[in-house]
Amino acid sequence: MNSKTMNRAFHLEAKDINVWFGERHVLKDVNLQFPSNQVTALIGPSGCGKSTFIRTLNRMHELIPTAGLAGSVLLDGDDIYDDAVDPSQVRLKVGMVFQKPNPFPTMSIKENVISGLKLSGRKNEISNDLVEDSLKRASMWNEAKDRLDEPALSLSGGQQQRLCIARSLAMNPEVILMDEPCSALDPGSTRRIEETILELKETMSIVIVTHNMQQAQRVSDKTAFFLADDNQPGYVVEFGDTQQIFNQPVDPRTNDYVNGHFG
Amino acid sequence: MNLEPVARPKTAEPWARTTARAKMLQIVGSIVPIAISLYAWLIAGVDPIVVVLLILLPTLLISIGTVGFVLKGKRGIPDAALIVMTFYLGTFVMVLLISVIWALTEAGFRALSPHFIYQNNTYVTPTDGLEFGGVGHAIIGTLLVVGLSTIITVPLGLATGIYLTETRSNGRGFVRVILQAMAGLPSVVAGLFIYSVFIVTGISQYAGWLGSLALVPLMLPTISRVTEEALKLVPQELRNGALGLGASSWKAFFQVTLPAAKSGVVTAILLGVARVVGETAPLLLTVFPIAGTNLNLLSGGMATLPTYIYRFVALGFDTSVARAWGAALVLMIVVGLLFGLARYISRPKSLKKKKVKR
Repeated sequence: MNSKTMNRAFHLEAKDINVWFGERHVLKDVNLQFPSNQVTALIGPSGCGKSTFIRTLNRMHELIPTAGLAGSVLLDGDDIYDDAVDPSQVRLKVGMVFQKPNPFPTMSIKENVISGLKLSGRKNEISNDLVEDSLKRASMWNEAKDRLDEPALSLSGGQQQRLCIARSLAMNPEVILMDEPCSALDPGSTRRIEETILELKETMSIVIVTHNMQQAQRVSDKTAFFLADDNQPGYVVEFGDTQQIFNQPVDPRTNDYVNGHFG
Repeated sequence: MNLEPVARPKTAEPWARTTARAKMLQIVGSIVPIAISLYAWLIAGVDPIVVVLLILLPTLLISIGTVGFVLKGKRGIPDAALIVMTFYLGTFVMVLLISVIWALTEAGFRALSPHFIYQNNTYVTPTDGLEFGGVGHAIIGTLLVVGLSTIITVPLGLATGIYLTETRSNGRGFVRVILQAMAGLPSVVAGLFIYSVFIVTGISQYAGWLGSLALVPLMLPTISRVTEEALKLVPQELRNGALGLGASSWKAFFQVTLPAAKSGVVTAILLGVARVVGETAPLLLTVFPIAGTNLNLLSGGMATLPTYIYRFVALGFDTSVARAWGAALVLMIVVGLLFGLARYISRPKSLKKKKVKR
């Protein structure tokens, strides 16, 4: 009970996260706090464990064969890795948008938006208002309103990704995790998703993995810089306000990375 | 600037442009070997098989190779050889398939008539004319026996396919080996097994349901292995998408993964049915073929199309053999109808609606 009241400012907190794949240690001692109603960006070169880390935050990590984990992730003060916790309940509160748009191919646009409610057995909450509201919040409504019954795969890549965001929003999660959501998209779609992110943080906390420095600066309040040396596990080099990380980094490696000297 | 769309011109495929000279060469190059072969076959009287293998194939290779060389230089020769070989092998397979269908239709058509489809063989002796009697009872028998077999095997096969793809259990390798062994099981052994377990021990008399049981081990490996392949093709991102929305594994599978693999799973079931629908040996050992109609799978004899064919060919009379051919033709038509129906039911949703691609 005590920890619950202490951590009110943080929706989500990762404590001493260590990750292995088989015998390979890939993340070491990651401690991060994700403040409520703020956007936290995870940056770092490829292979440093950002995507692996973000997947530990809603228990998608354990779906990978050979995955291992130590440490805890606190959501509103409760450890999501507690024995009594059902992973699907965690994922209801902590939604996820993936790198590659993955709308369900056998469903229409509308069915995709409400798919989460159907899949989690909350059919009684389904309504046309919810579909409209979710698509509006993902800034997809104008493009989708006249073609709700068309297959989701008839949309362009950028539209598919915003549909996936709408699908997550329909679940009304407390936190949304985004794993490089714009890496497969053109600049126009990227801009619209960034605008969406800024609107969403009014009502939820967002964690985003990105390779795009400008994007991290545009959308995030906090930034964590990950790094992995050759054949060593990844770790957090520096974590702080985005302005500080990009303008007055403490660690010289952060400075080199955000200025494009490596990675 | 005028941005109105215009109709597609005939010249919209520049890659397919050919000169008159090239066209001439191609036509001459294909006619000459055929003309030589026709001459050898019709006028010189050479055996047609010898003509195809020793005259048509080499001359065609040479002439197409020459044309390819003249038009495209060195790289034209392997291209031409590949085209000729593909054409030959493709035609060969087509000829095989069509000749089977043709032989069946030709021989079976004599017996075919409306009453042949719906009448049974009660009061008909093997030497009776074709104006009486039919395979109605055998069609019903085949549908019942194979239908029960399908009802038993589909859940088992799907469950096995799901086990092999959706779990990380250590037993999967063992199950695959067993399935492979099962796929190699001679069908008569499956029949003998049921015969010795149920009939020799006196648990049951000959009956339709024993035939269905004997078909299960023949159908199971096909359904489970093809289901496994179909489920493997569903991208992991879709499963993750469903699980990421808080779905239980159960719902993620039935609402996302399985619908995405639907046509593959239907194919699995079809291939399973196709594997057993013509099986004779297991049914001869477990179901007593009778001349009348029997709708009861649990007791009594029951005719099926394969055992009907077997019996009437073995009798050896002109009309009985004609009936057997007719039954074979009916079997092919029944299978064709079943396949068409299953394909129609399982056709992808996007094809039902007009697909708008942007």
